[in-house]
Amino acid sequence: MKYITTVNDEEFIIEIDHDDEIMVNGVRYDIDFQQLMEDGNELSLILNKRSLEAVAEERDGLWQILTLGELYSVKVQDEYSYRLAQARGEDAHDTGDAAIKSPMPGLIVSVVAEEGDVVAKGDKIIILESMKMENELRAPRDGVVGHISVAAGDSVEKGQVLATIVDAGE
Amino acid sequence: MTANTLLSRKFNKLLIANRGEIAMRILRACHELGIATVAVYSDADRNALHVRYAQEAYYLGPSPASESYLRIDKLIEIAKESGAGAIHPGYGFLAERAAFARACIENDIVFVGPPPEAIAIMGDKQMARETVTAAGVPVVPGTDPGTDEELIAAAQEMGFPVLVKATAGGGGKGMRPVFDPDALPDAIAAARREAKGAFGDDTVYLEKLIQGSRHIEIQLLADVHGNVIHLGERECSLQRRHQKVIEESPSFVVDEDLRQRMGAVAVAAAKAVGYVNAGTIEFLLDKEKNFYFLEMNTRLQVEHPVTELVTGVDIVQEQLRIARGRRLRIKQEDVKQKGWAIECRINAEDPYNNYLPSTGTITFSRVPTGPGVRIDTGVFPGYEITPYYDSMISKLICYGETRGEAILRMRRALAEYRIMGVKTNIPFHQHMMDSYSFMGGEFDTKYVEERFRMDEREANETMAAAILATLLAHKQSQQASQIVAPGARDTSNWKWYSRWERLRQ
Repeated sequence: MKYITTVNDEEFIIEIDHDDEIMVNGVRYDIDFQQLMEDGNELSLILNKRSLEAVAEERDGLWQILTLGELYSVKVQDEYSYRLAQARGEDAHDTGDAAIKSPMPGLIVSVVAEEGDVVAKGDKIIILESMKMENELRAPRDGVVGHISVAAGDSVEKGQVLATIVDAGE
Repeated sequence: MTANTLLSRKFNKLLIANRGEIAMRILRACHELGIATVAVYSDADRNALHVRYAQEAYYLGPSPASESYLRIDKLIEIAKESGAGAIHPGYGFLAERAAFARACIENDIVFVGPPPEAIAIMGDKQMARETVTAAGVPVVPGTDPGTDEELIAAAQEMGFPVLVKATAGGGGKGMRPVFDPDALPDAIAAARREAKGAFGDDTVYLEKLIQGSRHIEIQLLADVHGNVIHLGERECSLQRRHQKVIEESPSFVVDEDLRQRMGAVAVAAAKAVGYVNAGTIEFLLDKEKNFYFLEMNTRLQVEHPVTELVTGVDIVQEQLRIARGRRLRIKQEDVKQKGWAIECRINAEDPYNNYLPSTGTITFSRVPTGPGVRIDTGVFPGYEITPYYDSMISKLICYGETRGEAILRMRRALAEYRIMGVKTNIPFHQHMMDSYSFMGGEFDTKYVEERFRMDEREANETMAAAILATLLAHKQSQQASQIVAPGARDTSNWKWYSRWERLRQ
C-alpha cells in the first residue's frame, strides 16, 4: 500500500507492504510498530533500531502526532485518494477560500481589516477577547479579505467562521 | 497593629477559596499538617482534582468566576456551614481583596494572609509608593496623580521615555510606555479608559521608564510576632504581555551582597505596612544594578516552588503555621540558597500562532518524573480547558546543583512531557532552553516580546511524525476492512476460551 503523507508542507512517499519493513522515499527501513492498548493512542516504533514514541489523535481528518514535545499535524492519503484530490484540484497549497474561525468562545474586541483588503499571511484581522486576554487572529495565508461576518462587540462561539480570505483577483 | 486586625489561632479545618493547581498545592500542605480540607467548586469544576482530593466539597455556583470563586458571601457561608476555622485564598480571585480578608475576620474565620489594611495599602500603587518611600525604600522616579495638563508638564521636567500607570493597575492594564512627547496625551487618555474599564478608577500617574531592566522579586515570610525574613530572590524577567512564563531562583545577576541589600529593603517595606504571612516584593533592577520597588504581591505567588526548592522551606506550610499564630521556625541567618531551580509555566496556547489560547479536553497526560522534577498541576485526561479560567495546565519545576544542570534537566523533562487534546507552549520552553541568550542569562523584561522568535525553531522530527501517522492510518484501514470481512482472528478471547474448555471435556 502506497501513501503520500504531508507534514509542514513536506511530502513523504511511504510504502507499507509488510509488518516488519517500510519504504520511505524509496529507502527501506526495518520497523516494529506497536499501538499500546486496544484503542490507545500511544505509539511505540522501533525504526532501524531507533526507538520513537508518540501520542496520536485524529482530528478534522488530520493526524496529530506528539513526539519529543512537538505536535505535528500530518495528512495521510493513500495513492488513490491523493490522485483523486489532485485531479479535483483540491489541496493545492495556499489557494481557495480560507476561513478564520474562532478558536474559542469570546467577544470580538475589534475588526482590524476591512473587506477587500489585500493581506499577507500573519496580518492581524480580528481581535478576540477570551480567557481574560486579547488574542490576535491573523490571516492564515496571503490573499484578500472576503466576507467579514462579525463586528466589534459580537459574542462568538468556538468554531464560528468570522472572516474569509480569498484569492486576489476573485 | 496586627493584633487587632488579623485573627490568628489554631484551626483544624480549612476552606480553600480557589481551584486548579494552587488548590491542590494548599490541600497537600493541609493534609501534611493534619488539617482537614474543604473544597469549593463551580459547575465547570465538579470533577476537578481539588474537589476529589479534598475531604469535603461544597458547590459554589455557575462557572463564571463572578458567580462562584469571587462570591465572598457564599464562601463565608460555606466556611461557617462546614465549620472551617480558616480560609486560604490562593492567588488570583479574592487573594488581594481587602474586603475578603475583612469579611473573614468579621465572621471569626482566620484569613491565611496579611491584614486587610496591608492589602489595601499595597493594592493602591500611589499609597504603596508613599508608604514604602517613607520607610526608605527606593522607588522608580515618578509623579503624583494629576490632571492631563499636570502630567504632561511633569513629563517635560522628568524627561522621556515615561510610563503611564493606573494607580489601581495590575497585569499591565492601564499601562502605556511613551517615548515621544507628542504621543503622551493620547497615551494618558488610553490608559485612563483602560483603567476605568478594568478597575472602575481612571487615576493615572507617570513613572520614568527604565529600559533594559530585569524583574527580580524577594520572597518574604512574616509572623504575627513581628519577625520578618526573606527567602532570597526570584528572577522573573521572562514575560509575555506582563504574564510571567519562566522563573528561576537564584538570579543569574544577583550576587550575595545585592541579595542581602534587596532582602533588607524588602523586609523594611513589609514592616512599613505591618505585614503578616507570605508576600513578595517586586523590584526592577536596571543595568547598573540599581533596584527600585515596583509593587508588593500580598499573597502566595504562582512561582513560589522555585524558592521552595533552593531554600528547602515549604512556603505553604509556613503560611498555615503563621496563620495559627506560631513563631517563624527559621531565622534570617538560617536561610541558605542551595542549587538552582527553574519553573516553566505550561499553558494551553499555540506558540506557533501568536500564543493563541487553545481550549478543549485533555485526552492524554503523562507528566515527566525522575530526579529533580516537580509538577504542580490540576489537570488529568478528561479535564476541559474552558474559557472561564486561565490557560495554565501545570508548572514544571526542575532542580539542579547548578544553573546548567537545571537547564539540562528541564530540557529532558520537557521532551518527556506528553499532553494531548490541546496545544501547549512546551515548544516555546524547549526553544528557550536551547537559546544562547537564556543560557547566558542575557535577557530583560522585553526579551520574549521583542527578541525571541519561535519561527527560527526547526521541527526536526517531521519524518518520524510522517511514518508514525502513516503506520497508524494504515493499521486503522486494515482493521476497518477486517470488520467488513471477519476472519479467524475476529473470534474473541472469551469465545476461544469456552471452545477450548469444551474440547477438554
